[in-house]
Amino acid sequence: MSDTTLNVSLPISGMTCASCVSHVEDALKELPSVENVVVNLGTNKASLTYNPKRVGLGDMQRAVDEVGYAVSTSEIILDVRGMTCASCVGHVEGALKELNGVREAVVNLGLGTARVTYIPGVVSTSAMKRAVREAGYEASERSQGADALDRERQAREDEIKRQGRNLLISGSIGLVVMIGTFFDMLGALKAFVPEFLSYKWVIGLLTTPIVFGPGRQFFTNSWRGLKHGVTDMNLLYATGIGAAYGIAVINTIFPQAGFGGEGATFFESAALLTTFIILGRWLEALTRGRTSEAIRKLMKLQPKIARIIRDGKEEEIPAEEVEIGDLILVRPGEGIPVDGMVTEGYSAVDESMLTGESLPVEKKTGDNVIGGTLNKTGAFKFTATRVGKDTALGQIIKLVEDAQASKAPIQKLADWVAGHFILGVHVLAVLVFVFWFFIGFQRFFDPSSRFMLSPYTLGEIGVFGFSLLLSVTVLVISCPCAVGLATPSAMMAGTGKAAENGVLFKGAEAIEKASKLQTIVFDKTGTLTKGEPSVTDVIADFGLLAVDLENQSRINNQQSTILRLAAIAEKNSEHPLGEAIVKGAQSRGLLVGEAESFDSIPGHGVEAQVEGIAVLLGNRRLMRERGVDFSPLMAQAEALEADGKTVMFVAVDGQPGGLIAVADILKEFTVEAIRRLHKLGIETAMITGDNLRTAEAIARQVGIDRVLAEVLPQDKAEEVKKLQASGKAVAMVGDGVNDAPALAQANVGMAIGSGTDVAKETGDVILIKDDVRDVVVALEVAKATMRKVKQNLFWAFFYNTLSIPLAAGLLYPFISLIISPELAGLLMAVSSITVTLNTLLLKGFKPSIRRDDRPRLGAGKSGSPLAPVAASTD
Amino acid sequence: MEHEQIEKEVARRSALIYLPISLGAAALFFLAASLVGGYPPVAKIGGVVWVGLLSLIVSMPIVTSRVKHHAGTVAGNHE
Repeated sequence: MSDTTLNVSLPISGMTCASCVSHVEDALKELPSVENVVVNLGTNKASLTYNPKRVGLGDMQRAVDEVGYAVSTSEIILDVRGMTCASCVGHVEGALKELNGVREAVVNLGLGTARVTYIPGVVSTSAMKRAVREAGYEASERSQGADALDRERQAREDEIKRQGRNLLISGSIGLVVMIGTFFDMLGALKAFVPEFLSYKWVIGLLTTPIVFGPGRQFFTNSWRGLKHGVTDMNLLYATGIGAAYGIAVINTIFPQAGFGGEGATFFESAALLTTFIILGRWLEALTRGRTSEAIRKLMKLQPKIARIIRDGKEEEIPAEEVEIGDLILVRPGEGIPVDGMVTEGYSAVDESMLTGESLPVEKKTGDNVIGGTLNKTGAFKFTATRVGKDTALGQIIKLVEDAQASKAPIQKLADWVAGHFILGVHVLAVLVFVFWFFIGFQRFFDPSSRFMLSPYTLGEIGVFGFSLLLSVTVLVISCPCAVGLATPSAMMAGTGKAAENGVLFKGAEAIEKASKLQTIVFDKTGTLTKGEPSVTDVIADFGLLAVDLENQSRINNQQSTILRLAAIAEKNSEHPLGEAIVKGAQSRGLLVGEAESFDSIPGHGVEAQVEGIAVLLGNRRLMRERGVDFSPLMAQAEALEADGKTVMFVAVDGQPGGLIAVADILKEFTVEAIRRLHKLGIETAMITGDNLRTAEAIARQVGIDRVLAEVLPQDKAEEVKKLQASGKAVAMVGDGVNDAPALAQANVGMAIGSGTDVAKETGDVILIKDDVRDVVVALEVAKATMRKVKQNLFWAFFYNTLSIPLAAGLLYPFISLIISPELAGLLMAVSSITVTLNTLLLKGFKPSIRRDDRPRLGAGKSGSPLAPVAASTD
Repeated sequence: MEHEQIEKEVARRSALIYLPISLGAAALFFLAASLVGGYPPVAKIGGVVWVGLLSLIVSMPIVTSRVKHHAGTVAGNHE
């Protein structure tokens, strides 16, 4: 077996010519034991023979990488059923990773999925499924979209039904077993219970179908695993139930055998232990699906039917059959089936389900609509632009699924601990048995001992029965299923909660990192500000003017007059500042007519003849050159400049007429976002290409702590690196395209205002809306999720840390009480349920801005539209 | 086919290691119980079985996965 050689055909990407072929061939041939290398440029494949003992596929991949090509990989998601604890995760991952051709396998216990990265052609999906099956679980290929939803729901419902049926059988028979066992203590109720139920052999007969019916799953699953060298918590149950039942049978049939006789038949232990474990499984199946409800909700958004217009006729077709370019009609109250652009009609659309935006968004011709959102008021027609998995909803679902299937560093640690825990527990069970057998029983055994919370005594039990009982209880109580559920269940709930609020985390690691952030760096233009200059101040001084401008323009407002004249002069200018002045005049309702003549003075400004008046508009230097003395307005100009605004001087007929200040305007909620971040204890920084004075003026208005000014776009990543070098966990918030290097450099990159084409975005976190407060939402959700993870891990480990010594009999010498196996089973079930229910509390979490939504509408517009910052130079 | 053969070989080799380990642990328990003395034969036998079983459960997965690892990768593409 050891010298087996294997043939393999590797898909190679990046080859363009014959020399590529020889490079790849040479690289592979240099590897030990690799022979018969044939690289085919046409099929992009490298066929070879190798000895797996001497060289691995990883070595081949590296060799190909080193010469500038790549071994192509694919990804598949398998639905894995039968996983119950963290050790199962390790087993499934291990089984998959052992396969030749599998490069990576990440299992998510909560979702019941395995994401496998593999080399196509080297390993098949059926081989993966077989490997999972052989490890004791069931696997099937995950289907997409609604089909996946249906299958997932079906699988969960099947599991709930199966365990519910098992619970009904074991619970009802178990109750009879209990009544029979405690017959002597029933008092007056004895009259209603037939005495034969208390006979040991009857109790034994009743227990047998529980152990071999509902309890059979533990024996078969653990045996399947053991055969392949894996242990899971089924083994703990199987040994616990098996030992209790086995001893009870021996003591019933051979009471003189010396195992404690009839006084030590633990049929009720075996019956109730099975019942409680199944109760735990049933409750877990009920609650686990609810933690992944977010993805289900998203999938449900997709309308099933689209009303398209073909040849002038309305036709209803399934939404998945809509093609790009189809014309679709949407009536009030209907869902929008795919992404598109409005071509006719007007309406308000509720996009809250995808963006978290609470107010309906107006849609008119030319506006984009998103599939899965809800049309509220009017009817409209739109042309489909994105369909199927390319729609915004499809991309978001994919992103959330990917995030939920990923694993946070803290989870990897928990899985590792839980995976090694079961073997450790079995070793502990041996030690406990040996201790009580050789030392403990002789020294501490008290014939009047009882089980905790039970009147049942241990009077007739012998040394073996007593030692075995404690050993079995240790096995049962140690189940690490709560440890395994702690992290993935919280991560699923957290990513779902974030998605509900328009924040998409690209992985569990992003959540963990976001929860630890200390500094957040904002790109200025387009992130904190709107990214386009606007008129912020108009100062007019007509004192020196010879012309009666007020009468002439018939506008009883000096500022408006100056702004109107300037706008007419700038109307033909293409300069951004000129455009800002024109827009500023129009937005104030001023009529912007045509200038009689217009001249652009490059780098300085413009001059124009407007309504018979000579208007000169430009910078200070232009005024100096033309001999216009602005000294009466200079103090005000300097004050505006000190605030980071760009000042334009307006001269009328050669005399100073006024000043117009232009600046990039802060976004509506910038100040509020920064204030909330400070409340969370986060240091804020702003990165910009502006000069230091301007940048500092903006920072003062916003309340930013640190200014990184005069930074060229290509140097932003370097600045982030410097902050990281000072030991800070840094997030960068910016445009997902232009700021990509800085986003990648930061511990957490947040792409803001990306809209719905989320697949194109870089960054670990995607904020769908253009609302900087969503940075706060991201942080709050991340912190709440990690808080939940830590609480869950604490309770899971706390439970095991506390219960194992108790089960091992640590307190027995002092209190003469031991935990019965069935109580251990109940405690174990309670611990899993506690963790799951604790996670479900996250469903009620609301980010602070959503909690404060009502007051915000009235008073929270801290970033007033007229709160300006300098027109950007970055 | 080759995959199944490898699996069988792994199982055979593993059993040759973990069975003696668990039998050894059980024998050790029996020896200790006999040396200490005073235990009824049934308790000794029960203890031997329990210690042997737990030792088997502990050693079986450890040994099997080691042997499997030693035997090289499983041929995933050979079905």
